[in-house]
Amino acid sequence: MTEQVVVAPLLSALVAAVLALLLRSYPRLQRGVSVLGGLAYGAGVLFLAARVAADADRRLVYQVSDWTAPFGISLIADPLSVLMLGLTAVVSLAALVYSLYFLDREDARLSYHPLYHFMILGVTGSFLTGDVFNLFVWFEVMLMSSYVLVVFYSGAEQTRAALLYSLLNLVGSAVMLLAIGGLYATTGTLNMADMARRLAEPAAYGIDPAPVLGISAVLLSVFALKAGIVPFQFWVPAAYEAAPEPVTAVLAGVVKKVGIYAIVRLYFMVFAAASVPVSLPGIGGDSFLSFFGPVLFVTAAASILLGGVGALGQDRMAGLLAYSSIGQIGFVVLPLAVAATAPEFRVLGVTAALVYAINHGLAKALLFLVGGAVRAGTGTDRFADLGGLAGREPVLAGSFFVGGLALVGIPPLTGFFGKFLVFDIAGRAGSTAGLAVALVGAVFTIAYVTRAWNRGFWGEAGPSVAASTRRPALVAVVAALAGLIVLLGVGFDPLYAAAENAAEAALDAEGYVSAVDPTTAAEATADAASGTNGGGHS
Amino acid sequence: MTEFVLAVTLGLLFGLGTFLVLRRDVVRVVWGVAIISQAANVYLVTVGVGTTGGAGAPILGHGHAGEAAVADPLVQALVLTAIVIGFGTTAFALVLTFRLYEEHGTIDLDGIAGSEGDGAAGTGTAGDGAADAGGSR
Repeated sequence: MTEQVVVAPLLSALVAAVLALLLRSYPRLQRGVSVLGGLAYGAGVLFLAARVAADADRRLVYQVSDWTAPFGISLIADPLSVLMLGLTAVVSLAALVYSLYFLDREDARLSYHPLYHFMILGVTGSFLTGDVFNLFVWFEVMLMSSYVLVVFYSGAEQTRAALLYSLLNLVGSAVMLLAIGGLYATTGTLNMADMARRLAEPAAYGIDPAPVLGISAVLLSVFALKAGIVPFQFWVPAAYEAAPEPVTAVLAGVVKKVGIYAIVRLYFMVFAAASVPVSLPGIGGDSFLSFFGPVLFVTAAASILLGGVGALGQDRMAGLLAYSSIGQIGFVVLPLAVAATAPEFRVLGVTAALVYAINHGLAKALLFLVGGAVRAGTGTDRFADLGGLAGREPVLAGSFFVGGLALVGIPPLTGFFGKFLVFDIAGRAGSTAGLAVALVGAVFTIAYVTRAWNRGFWGEAGPSVAASTRRPALVAVVAALAGLIVLLGVGFDPLYAAAENAAEAALDAEGYVSAVDPTTAAEATADAASGTNGGGHS
Repeated sequence: MTEFVLAVTLGLLFGLGTFLVLRRDVVRVVWGVAIISQAANVYLVTVGVGTTGGAGAPILGHGHAGEAAVADPLVQALVLTAIVIGFGTTAFALVLTFRLYEEHGTIDLDGIAGSEGDGAAGTGTAGDGAADAGGSR
C-alpha cells in the first residue's frame, strides 16, 4: 500500500528550489515562483494533513521506488510529522514573504531563494522519513543550505560565525554517521519501524541492548547540537545574529525543532521499546528512557538557566532573542525529561513539549521578524540606540508585545497553555526540581522580555528611532503572524487536540510498525497468536 | 587480525582528526574535520566486513562460501552517499576559510576571536549590519 500524497510537500519544495535556481536571470519571475512554491508547500501540507486525519490508521506510508519496508526507504506521515510540517509551512511562508521586502533584491537574486527552499526541503524530509540513514541525509540537505544562508551577508562577523557553525555541524555529522553505523552494526537495520520491533524483543534477533544504549546516547548529542541544548548551545547566538532575520526566524522556529522531533521520534518510540539489564547509580527502572530522563532533565535545566542569564546581559535585540531561544528550548525538553522518567505521564509530557515547541516556533519567528523590521527601519537593533518605538510604530510594537507575552505565557496566547502544561506535568509527576527550574526560567523570561520592551519600545525616542523609515510590508507580515498567535491561543482546542494526537501517535510504536511494514507485522502477530492466543491488533 | 588492524587504523585516524581540529590554524581544523568524517566512513565499511574478515564481493553466483563470506553491500552504499556529502561540505568549508582570510586577514582562530571583541566594542559591526538592512528594498 503506497500513498503518493506523502511526497507532496517534498516535491513542492524541491520543484520551487530547482525552478528558483533556473530562473535566477529573471529576478521578478524567480520571486514569484518562490512565493508560489511557499504557497504550494502550504497547500501540500494541508492536503496531507486532511488525508492523514481521514485515514483510519492516521498514518500514510510511501515506500520509495516501491521497495518494501525494512529494505527500502519509507516515508511516513503521521500526526506528529503533520503537526511539525504545519509549523514549517506557516513559519517558512511568513519568513519568505518577509524576505522579499527585507533583503536587497540584487543580493537575494543568486542564491537566496533556491537555498531557502532547499533548507525547507531538508526540514520536510527529516519530518517524513522513516529511515535513520535517510534522516542523516535530510539533515545534511538542511544544514548545507543553512551554512550558506548564515554567511549570506558575508561580512567579517558573518564569515566567522558561519565557519564555527559549519565546522561544529560537520563534526556533528561525522558523529551522527558513526552512531548510525553503530546502530546498524548492533541492530542490523536502519528502518525505524524495524528497529523498534527488533529492540522490543532483542533476544529473538540476537541484539545486545547495552551497546545500543551507548550508541543512542552518542546520537542524542547530535540531536542536542541541532536543537541547541546546553552543553551544545555555543553556536546559537553567533549564528542567529549573523544570519538575515528571516533566515534566523526559520532557523529558530523550525530547524531547531527538527532536533526535538528526532528526540521524540527516536527516543520515545524506537528506543523506548528496549530495556537494559544494567543498573546505573541514581537511575530507576531498566528502560532506555529512564536512563535518558535524568540526562534530558539536566540539559533542560541548564538550557533554561543559561538562556535566561545570557538573554539578560545582551545589548542587541538579536542577541537577546538568540539566548532566549536557548532557554525556551529548555522548556520544550523539560516535559520530555519528566515524561521519560514517569511512564504514566508520557502522553501528557510529549503533548506539553509539542505545544511548547509550536508556541516557541511561532513566537520566536515573530520576534526575530520584528527585530529585523526594527533594524531595517532604524538601522540598528542595539537597545542603547532604540527606545520610543511604541509611539512611532504602534503595529510593530504591538506585534512584539504579542510575541513577548506568548514567550512569557500570558493567557489567552498559546504560550500560556505551553507554560501551563509544562508546570502541570512537573507538578503531577511530583518533580519539585522540575517545578523550581520552570519557575526560575519563567521569571527570567519575564525579566528579559520586560527589559527588551522597556528599552526598545518605551521611553524617549532616540535619534535613530526619530529618523526611522516605515516598512509597511514588513510590518504587515509581522502583524499577520501576531494575529495567528492570538487566534491559536483563543481557539486553543484544535492545537491541543493535534498535539495530543501527535503525542499518542509518537508513543504508539506498535501502530507505527504495522503501518510501515504490514506483512511482517502480520506474521509476527500470527506467530504470537498461535503461541499465546492473543496480542493481535488491527 | 583484520579486525585488529582496522581498529588500530580507525583509532589513529580519529586521533589525528581530533588533534587537527584542536589547532588554531583554520585550514588544519578543516583538514581535521575532513579526516574525522573519512574515518567515520572507514568505520562504516568495517561494519560490513563482518567477523570473518574475508569478505567477497556481493555478486550473485560469484561467491561460493555462502552468504557469511559476503561483505554487506548496504554500508558501502551508505559510505558512497556520505563521501559525496563530505566532498561538498569540505569544499564549502575551504571556500569559507578563504573568505575568512579575506575578511580578517588571518586564518588564526585566536586572531579572529579577538576581532570579534573589537567589533562588539566599536561601531564596525553595527554599521555593517545597518548598511545591509538600510540598503535592502
